[in-house]
Amino acid sequence: MPNLASPLAGVKVLDFSQGTSGGVSTKLMAVMGADVVKVEPPGVGDVTRAQGPFPGDLPHPEKSGQFLYLNTNKRGVTLSLEHPTGRAAARRLVEWADVIVENFRPGQFAEWGFGYDEVERINPGAILVSTAPFGQSGPYRDFRGNDHIVQALGGLMYVTGDPKREPLRIGGEPTDYFSGFSAFSGALIALTYRDLSGIGQHVDVSAHEGIAVAQMYSALSYIFTGAERGRQAASPLYRVSDGQVGVSLRQQDWPGFCQMIGRPELEQDDRFKDMAARRANQEALTAIINEWIHDKNKQDLYHEAQKMGMTWGYICDTKDLMESPQYRHRGFFTEIDHPVAGRLTYPGMPLRWGDGVWDLRPAPLLGQHNAEVYGDLLGWSQEDLVLMRATGVI
Amino acid sequence: MALPLEGIRILDPSQVWAGPTCTKILGDLGADVIKVESARRMDIARGDARAMPGGMGFYPENDPGVDPWNREGKYADRNRSKRSICLDLTHPRGVDAFKRIAAHSDVVVENYRQGVMDRFGLGYNDLRKVRPDIIMLTMASQGATGPEAAYGSFGVTLEQTAGVASVTGYLGGDPSTSGVLFPDPLVSVVSVGLILAAFRQRRQTGEGVYIDLSQREMTTSILGDMVMDYTMNNRAWEPIGNRHRTFAPQGVYQCRGSDVWLAISVETDDDWAAFARTMGRPELIDNPRYSTVIGRRKHHDDLDTLITAWTSVRDAFITMSTLQAAGVPAGVVAKGEDLVSDPQLVARGFWEYTGHTPAETRPYLSRPFKFSKTPGFTRFPAPLLGADTAEVLRNVAGMSDAEIAELDELGVTEDDPLCFVS
Repeated sequence: MPNLASPLAGVKVLDFSQGTSGGVSTKLMAVMGADVVKVEPPGVGDVTRAQGPFPGDLPHPEKSGQFLYLNTNKRGVTLSLEHPTGRAAARRLVEWADVIVENFRPGQFAEWGFGYDEVERINPGAILVSTAPFGQSGPYRDFRGNDHIVQALGGLMYVTGDPKREPLRIGGEPTDYFSGFSAFSGALIALTYRDLSGIGQHVDVSAHEGIAVAQMYSALSYIFTGAERGRQAASPLYRVSDGQVGVSLRQQDWPGFCQMIGRPELEQDDRFKDMAARRANQEALTAIINEWIHDKNKQDLYHEAQKMGMTWGYICDTKDLMESPQYRHRGFFTEIDHPVAGRLTYPGMPLRWGDGVWDLRPAPLLGQHNAEVYGDLLGWSQEDLVLMRATGVI
Repeated sequence: MALPLEGIRILDPSQVWAGPTCTKILGDLGADVIKVESARRMDIARGDARAMPGGMGFYPENDPGVDPWNREGKYADRNRSKRSICLDLTHPRGVDAFKRIAAHSDVVVENYRQGVMDRFGLGYNDLRKVRPDIIMLTMASQGATGPEAAYGSFGVTLEQTAGVASVTGYLGGDPSTSGVLFPDPLVSVVSVGLILAAFRQRRQTGEGVYIDLSQREMTTSILGDMVMDYTMNNRAWEPIGNRHRTFAPQGVYQCRGSDVWLAISVETDDDWAAFARTMGRPELIDNPRYSTVIGRRKHHDDLDTLITAWTSVRDAFITMSTLQAAGVPAGVVAKGEDLVSDPQLVARGFWEYTGHTPAETRPYLSRPFKFSKTPGFTRFPAPLLGADTAEVLRNVAGMSDAEIAELDELGVTEDDPLCFVS
């Protein structure tokens, strides 16, 4: 019997969040052993259930790849906060929880009777984590934001892309994940303090501030030197026979690199003698590298350079990731069997915890744990559940 | 003011970005963070010991001064609220001193290449002997195991090897990397919670843990839907520029001025109606080419032209406010100066001012979360190299003045990097 890693065993989390940012934070808690009860609106459920990707591109609320990925290891209930009876039930769940996570538009949760002051009255030690694009205060509080807008206002976009073209966003939803990671860490900071003091509090997570932390160089360049950091020509990526390779040449890499490309005489060439000279003669250097590299294989180059101590990379698409010997060795991708979506490969936990193994379990079906959660925590009978369902509460 | 992490001690030989930013946040929230460097091997984020003006470093007034390693802006930002000690870990007495501090520490955070701490004799099993419930977080680029465990990385190579670059790039163009080295801050912010999860486990069980984090895996973990589309449909994603996979239109549009841009994202049909009205083009709302997301995606190029014609003669900030007032998601593409003066960041107190002297005092980045009762703040500026060596050796490691003097004579605690520069 393997030793299960569950550092957050015993932590009770009530998760009202929808979509990616909140989902990421509670997914980490759930895989780490917390009891996460995810609350979804009755009927349609979490917004990601409609967003896919879906197997064969056939939409199905229990087969959304993003929902399945973000909600592993959670229990799932349905509850309508629009409904007074639903809000009364939610108050009793709030009483139960150590950590409550929400990402409604700022102010909405308070309108339903769950502002932090009220949460504190219901459950004095509770930690309320609110994530929003711009946080819970300030002149942009009510601005609409999503990953694209936050990448722009957070300073990530201006420095990305071609200096001769428009700014470019990073693909995927990086700001939602950053915000989710921030909510996870914010919750753990508050939980640490609560365990020592008994005092709960409100954690206010702003995706905008997260990206303003992440961009770093733009602000510091301006603050320290007065100069704006422009869009940098991306770190040199070279086309090779089957993709692109990122070539990095530090001072100490140069002699080995000259040997590697069969041009030992370049080591003595004044045009390339140090970093400054190489930058000044970048065009000539690029031509030399292109001539040598264009017909080679991306993985061979990556491994050969790394084994020589040079920090190179290559562009990995999903197929490359799935086939990566490193990921295979560490068992990063994990199969999870889901009662409706079936057995699929997921990205697993990106860290190992001592000699413990992560116990990855499938995301809940919509309302899967209604009977269990409402029965155990609220004492609802089977008959009550039928009534609540018929009246649209759950 | 109460700080949530008071009483926690972090021994921190981590370097550059991901590790130091994680421990900076812990320091701001009250942890006692002891940063370990040496004059021979200081954090490379401190820059060249003999930096020249006009180089790569960020120095106040572009002046590296006589001690540039104490003045570099990126270093200063990532290492405030910490103490600094110098220990030569290639010397047995340096290793011994490290262990004696570790015996009184809760956590060790490190991001050396795999195997380096073991070679120093400071691996998890070595440290457990002096502190049985130690928590150790190793954030190697590829994790501590596997055929590529010893490979190096920078943020820019992690974007490549973790898959982020494969979906970043202009529509129809090649994959590319970002200008931000995004994996570093991403790993730093999640690591804060991982360390505190280990603390909780220790409170419950009395046991520490060795956490083996792979920066590459952590970066891939933000691409859940991309991976799932491959495992479900065998589909590999390509760059789509600034567009959205579902909604339309979404893009970055030129405004009045030089290199001034506004990001706009129309999510729903209602957003589209509000947008068309704001542009003074209500006839577009029901135009069958644009009235549904299917049409708007199909005619995205035409929409981009039409939107640019409207934005390009307008002020970006005013247009952002106008669109937001109408309920349309819009945001100025912020430069450094825009960030520092951003009304939202300023109103929420995001910038925290610190420096060793009034002349050096500047705004620094704070944190992505606010706490209603235990706010946390920049407790003190980044330490001068080795500023706290003697005090930490005396008060944490419990060394006598004679021992401390001996380490100094042996060069183990040397803190002048210039003595190693030829």
